[in-house]
Amino acid sequence: MKRGPTLLALLRGARAHPGPASVATVTGLLNGATMVAGAAAVGWATDHVVIPALSGERVPPGDWWLSTLFVLGVSAVRWSTIFVRGVATGRVQYRAQADTRRAVAHRYLELDLPWFRHRSPGRLLAHAISDVDAQWSPMQFAFFACGMVFMLLLALTELFLRDVSLGLAGLALVVSVFTLTAVYQRLLTPRAREMQEARGLVAAVAHESIEAGPVVRSLGLIDAEDARFTANVQRLKRADMRMAAVSSVFDPLLELLPTATVLLVLAVSAPRVASGELSVGDLVGVIYLLITVSIPLNVISRFLSMLPMSGAGLERVRSVLDSTEVTAYGTADLPGDGPLRVATSTGLTLEPGTVTVVVGRVGSGKTTLLELAGGQRVPAGRTVCFDGVDVRYLARGVVAANVAVVSQDPFLFAESIRANLELSGHPSAEARDTAEVEEAAGRRPYDEGEIWGALELAAADEVVRELPGGLDTVVGERGATLSGGQRQRLCIARALLRRPRLLLLDDATSALDSRVEREVLGRIRDSGRTVLMTTNRPAAVAIADRVVLVEAGRIAATGSHEELMEIDEYRRLITAYEHGQEAAGDDRTQLAR
Amino acid sequence: MTVPSWLVKVLILALLAGAGRIIAPLTVQRVIDSGLATHTVGPAITVGAAAVLVAGVSSMLLNRGLQERAETTVAGLRRAGLRRVHEMAASRADRTPAADLVSRLTSDLDQMTTFLQGGGIQLVTSTAQLLIAGVIMSVYSWQLALPVLLIAGLLLAGMYLMQRLIGRRFARARQDLSGLQRVVAESVAGAAVIRSTGTQDRMRAKLDTAVDRARDSLIRTLPPLHGNASSGEIAIATMTVTVLLGGVWWALAGDGAPRLTSGQVVAMVFLVTFFVRPLQFLVQSLGEAQNALAGWRRAKQLVETPSAEVTDGVALPPGPVAVRVEQASARYGDGPPVLHQVTVTIEAGEHVAIVGRTGSGKSTFAKLLTRRLDPSSGTILLSGVPLDRLAPTAGRVVILPQDPFLFEGTVSGNVHRGDLSRTGDEVLRVFDDLGLRDWLHALPDGPDTEVGLRGERLSAGERQLVGLARTALADPDLVIFDEATSGIDPATDVAVQAALATLTRGRTTIAIAHRMITAENADRVLVFDAGRIVQSGPHHVLAGQEGPYRKLVEAWNRS
Repeated sequence: MKRGPTLLALLRGARAHPGPASVATVTGLLNGATMVAGAAAVGWATDHVVIPALSGERVPPGDWWLSTLFVLGVSAVRWSTIFVRGVATGRVQYRAQADTRRAVAHRYLELDLPWFRHRSPGRLLAHAISDVDAQWSPMQFAFFACGMVFMLLLALTELFLRDVSLGLAGLALVVSVFTLTAVYQRLLTPRAREMQEARGLVAAVAHESIEAGPVVRSLGLIDAEDARFTANVQRLKRADMRMAAVSSVFDPLLELLPTATVLLVLAVSAPRVASGELSVGDLVGVIYLLITVSIPLNVISRFLSMLPMSGAGLERVRSVLDSTEVTAYGTADLPGDGPLRVATSTGLTLEPGTVTVVVGRVGSGKTTLLELAGGQRVPAGRTVCFDGVDVRYLARGVVAANVAVVSQDPFLFAESIRANLELSGHPSAEARDTAEVEEAAGRRPYDEGEIWGALELAAADEVVRELPGGLDTVVGERGATLSGGQRQRLCIARALLRRPRLLLLDDATSALDSRVEREVLGRIRDSGRTVLMTTNRPAAVAIADRVVLVEAGRIAATGSHEELMEIDEYRRLITAYEHGQEAAGDDRTQLAR
Repeated sequence: MTVPSWLVKVLILALLAGAGRIIAPLTVQRVIDSGLATHTVGPAITVGAAAVLVAGVSSMLLNRGLQERAETTVAGLRRAGLRRVHEMAASRADRTPAADLVSRLTSDLDQMTTFLQGGGIQLVTSTAQLLIAGVIMSVYSWQLALPVLLIAGLLLAGMYLMQRLIGRRFARARQDLSGLQRVVAESVAGAAVIRSTGTQDRMRAKLDTAVDRARDSLIRTLPPLHGNASSGEIAIATMTVTVLLGGVWWALAGDGAPRLTSGQVVAMVFLVTFFVRPLQFLVQSLGEAQNALAGWRRAKQLVETPSAEVTDGVALPPGPVAVRVEQASARYGDGPPVLHQVTVTIEAGEHVAIVGRTGSGKSTFAKLLTRRLDPSSGTILLSGVPLDRLAPTAGRVVILPQDPFLFEGTVSGNVHRGDLSRTGDEVLRVFDDLGLRDWLHALPDGPDTEVGLRGERLSAGERQLVGLARTALADPDLVIFDEATSGIDPATDVAVQAALATLTRGRTTIAIAHRMITAENADRVLVFDAGRIVQSGPHHVLAGQEGPYRKLVEAWNRS
């Protein structure tokens, strides 16, 4: 990443917040000026008060007051500009940061699901948090550095005005500091990247290993995990030390360079002061200036040193913001509110109000078919029509308002049960009055009756009643404080509450007792919705109007349960347990012998 | 108590580095005081140059040495920390959020590196510089040093108080930032649900609130932070005026010759800057130092968590494992008891099925046997050895949960972890033994198919198949299946279970069942209800008796 685009991005960020940015710029420049003025004040006081007074001359009282005022006045401007500049700079930085964060997070809500499949959640989190931090981190020094560049120019001008050779010494100092900084950066950047990478790997391995805790214990993988982790830890240590090897040389070098210059200036100027070409005050002012110059040089170096990291952050943030894998929407609506009729180009048709069950072996593509027919993910070259309308022509939000999904991995937000069920309110009914509009963003909120009704349908009412806070119980991240079966029931309740015209259940009852499962499925069947579900339980086909058998990613057969029983593969799947019983019986007799 | 030699070395280097940095004003003083006489300039500058050299070289050595030492310790802490995570009591590991443990091994310790690279060493040299400058000032003129030290004291006190306020506001900001992280993580993890329910607006509002809150609390740290930074300037200005004018006044106040030369006064002004700058730096980096130390302590805390592994414990006798549970009760944290004085014996080589409704205590029972939970009372013996005196049983007692964890990598790589001493061919043979050959080769890259993070590229059922193969390779003497095939289709399930029955012949197995076939295949069925074992016996016997098992069987048959 070149510095140009990074600087440009910083500038754009500053311009987006003109108020604090202009305050920071003005105070930054003022502050730079006071540093030069401060050196002049000390020099003036030395020449007009200290030296004459101590060499026995009478110093007029006015000069005493003037030097006091001069030093203190300059200082007052300096510290107040430090304060104001700092606060204004921080405002620009944190506001720009928040804007970018918001943009990234909003983008995540628009991107297609396949886009997520290729990226780990940790990486996505890093884009929104640490990459945005990195992108804006140079901002904290930007206005300071601006003022310091101004100050350097002023200081150099003053040096040249006093004496050309002093000016040249100052210039030499500035040039050598920037040269050193450039070399330093060149050495540091690849090492910093290496360190960042090594940190990422250490974090990834640590995270995986800790999440895998039960497996590691159970299978005795501690040594293997230690070896895997150690390799990465050592790599990080080496990367850290390679950084240290560079910084331990350059940091003192940069720090001591001004001091070395002061000594050089002394050596050169001493004879000239002795000969009266330079006043002692001039020399004192110059030395003071040279020492003070170390601060701006330091700040400018730090600003420049943050640019590569910022550029890398910017690049990663852009990769999110510029990604084009967003879902396209049409403008069509789905009128009516009865159960949907679904027709897919793969030959599967769901008649309104019927229950269709997809069966097939592990990995045969049941979920893929469910997602296609439900209009959740329609691959190129396939089409799905709801009530005769191609899903791709439907307006934004129409599919979500008409279809409800319960997936294999039941997900709950870390909020109250009530919030998890209600979400944004009823998806297709408009709010009835303005109070409700404010409550649920234009959608009609549910009443208690509707909520408990849905919970009962999903056999989740017991679950909620037994929780300490009832509907207001806040669940853990991803619903972690509940068992798999409880989560499944709540997710089913959430889907039913939405009164979907098409309900998709992806092996959504796997963690329920068979008695509860039968009750829930029975009630879903009686609700008269169009239902498409996958299952690994043979019993569930009992509620099916039609059964679809998938094999190796395609639909192998469709029909009623009785019709499909003619097909070997289907019969094998459905009656597996009955055969298994006989086989196991044999097994046991063998053992008994 | 002996001082370690590295510490002596650090102290010497720090003093040298600090001293070297103060030579400049001394040289200036000498040269100006001598009236810039040519014969004093030469030696003074030579001394100054030498001092700068000493400061530079000792700083470099100090930098290198301290970082090497710190990094070695950090690496050691990371390793020891991860090991301890796997060795601590399982119940403790389960209670602690993974993110917390990870941060103790990563970002908390990274803070130490960042601190050392970003001015931590300077903190050491600054302290030395501060001390030396203070001493020299006092030697120069204690009368001038006194007001300077007084102002410094006031500054220090003020900055310290302010630093505490900054600390509080930053703590708040960190809290809001981690809140923001949680919301972003949720919006990513719940991406599918948010899309399918069309609730992007709701999530967007939630994200906006979190983003704004973090921004606002960061902005609230600004006034005290920069108030502190600017207060140093006020102190420097006051000190400069005091030294310049006060110095002249004091020098002339006595009778006769001035008590100070102009060079001394000027040098004193320099000394003031050399005194205050490190002071300012010190106070400002104290916060960072505190952060780095806090991170260090958090890592240290983890490493010092007691290990639950029984050193010099009794090894599990070879061969199939017998289980004896006596009057065992269990509860989660301070919650109500979920198992009540359960007593049961499972013979070595017996195949047992556990059935019962959700919440009847089945999974808790499995947790007791695998030490994921310690009983609140009662004892558990494996092959006659009480659990708390048993040496690690890794690989011999294995539990296969409903959602087995898969490592990022290939399918065969994951199975290989069941027993790393096996060869690649043996790994592939396990798939054949379980009748999973066809499934394996139908995967995009066969055994080399990448499973993705946590195995998320596979379906729930496929993850269970990999878990089964891994357990089969481990070939344990006691294996507990906790609804391990719930996501697998019936045909594959039956085939796999039959294969497992052959593989585990002669081993002890305990299967928590949600399907009747598992219960039918077992030698014995244990029926759990409300935390107690209410029935025990073979399927055909229990099915013929009045009782909860019969009701379950009826439900299974009807479904």
